[in-house]
Amino acid sequence: MKPKYLHAIGAVIFILLLLVPVFFKSTFVLHIYTLIFFYVALTAAWNIPAFGGQLSLGHASFFGIGAYTAAILYVKYGVSPWVGLLIAVGASLLGGLILSLPLVRLRGPFFTLASIAFAEVLRMVAIDWRSMTNGSVGINIPFKPGFQNMTFTSGEPFYYLFLATAVIVVLLTYRIRNSALGFHLRAAASDDEAARALGVNTSLAQFLALMWSAGLTGILGVFYVFYNYVMEPNTAFSMDLFSLQPALNGIIGGMGTVWGPVIGAVLMTPLGEFLRVYLSTIQQGLHYVVYGLVLILTVKFIPGGILSILEPLINRKKKDRDNPKEKEERS
Amino acid sequence: MTLLKVKNLTKRFGGLVAVNDLSFEVNPGEIVGLIGPNGAGKTTVFNLLSGIHASDAGSVTLGDREITHLAPHRRSLAGIGRTFQVVRTFEMTVLENVMVPALARDKSIAKARETALEVLKMMGIENLADALPGNLTLAQRKRIEVARAMATKPRLLLLDEVLAGLNPTEVAENLPLIRQVRDQGATIIFIEHVMAAVMKVSERVLVMAQGALICCGTPSEVTNDECVIKAYLGEEDPECSQ
Repeated sequence: MKPKYLHAIGAVIFILLLLVPVFFKSTFVLHIYTLIFFYVALTAAWNIPAFGGQLSLGHASFFGIGAYTAAILYVKYGVSPWVGLLIAVGASLLGGLILSLPLVRLRGPFFTLASIAFAEVLRMVAIDWRSMTNGSVGINIPFKPGFQNMTFTSGEPFYYLFLATAVIVVLLTYRIRNSALGFHLRAAASDDEAARALGVNTSLAQFLALMWSAGLTGILGVFYVFYNYVMEPNTAFSMDLFSLQPALNGIIGGMGTVWGPVIGAVLMTPLGEFLRVYLSTIQQGLHYVVYGLVLILTVKFIPGGILSILEPLINRKKKDRDNPKEKEERS
Repeated sequence: MTLLKVKNLTKRFGGLVAVNDLSFEVNPGEIVGLIGPNGAGKTTVFNLLSGIHASDAGSVTLGDREITHLAPHRRSLAGIGRTFQVVRTFEMTVLENVMVPALARDKSIAKARETALEVLKMMGIENLADALPGNLTLAQRKRIEVARAMATKPRLLLLDEVLAGLNPTEVAENLPLIRQVRDQGATIIFIEHVMAAVMKVSERVLVMAQGALICCGTPSEVTNDECVIKAYLGEEDPECSQ
């Protein structure tokens, strides 16, 4: 139901993005783009439970489970990361299953707290389970270039891998939101009791949403660790990078919408990188202050996120085109 | 064959007995009014029937199926539809609101859209399909709630004050709705404070006071019943009658 010109704009942007590595050879530019795609995908995946009104601040758990599973399988047992990817998704889904047990009873802020605790517990496990995870030392992915090792000599393959992942995840969330599951989630977010009285199994819907989200986040964990070569508990289960950042992107862009996370991630990732680099020369951690301010201002003045400002503009244009008469009358 | 059989239903909230040993039956195709003073436990009965509250004792049977311990969504699927006293539409378009119950039964979006449009047409509000409930009048939103409940294709429909808060014109407009809905094949229990409506539409009236059923009969029988008058107006005060 989106206006046609938006499709055209989307297609043009996609083609331009395909061409970026051809024209920009700078590894820094490619890295920033790759990071943006990564966060678009991560935020979109994080956003699926948000369709049902659930705010997770513990997605680092699924991310870390996925990353550790594939990395351990590859480094210790020589399993190709592409095979490890499947097992990692399974492990992340298992994590989703565990977190969804409290979801049967916990909603709203209580689910949020449970999600934080879950990720923190897993971080502790990763630190202490030295025989498996190598503890705080972490795991290094040996540099053996080759497709079967998901290791590449240039940044381009990962650029395209993350671009494709971002596009697929966003389209998937679009499909989910417009499916029966999406309707059930939106109804549950709006009024859980009323939805149940109409025959909607809201607990099942919330569970399925969390499982989709967990699985996709696990995949991103695998790609991310092979993109970075190194991993230790405090980064793999980083609350800052993989729990708060997607939530921040989502809330700023428009939580529970399809395009909000895309807008949020595209705006916040470069800003975040910029702030991290420039503000840390003044005072470590200063960029958090800026983040906090942006978040407070967003929630205070545009609680629906940036998309809620953009949408009426787009819809008005569409209406004007559909009913030119009405426009004349108005003007 | 009765459609609904409620036996010794009891619900306590702490020390308060909201529903006390309530038993009644409803026949298929009936329109039953449920009345009583404020706090009599009428809405609690609806919450017990639709499964939102768990009962402390007693049983509820729909058709030949005992549903006393069924979860709310399963009761809806079994055929109990309801509306809420305070309107609880979802924050989505009217059409999407009505699609939700249809999608709980069949995952096809196209079919759900069809069903929803049909129901909206039947309710005479198909022109509101793309509107957001938040922008509509209370009378319209109450109609949407009824439409949403009808999209569950209920065998038993519980209407909780669908006329409350409407002006006389709107009451007159929404009143035929109850009969209309019954003619679609649903049996109805409705809670209402607008007495003219209760007298006009219901075939049988149940009267509750302080959690218990105090009277049951045709509208005219009930209005002449001493217990009912006492429940509504209180005991005759000897000092006043002097």
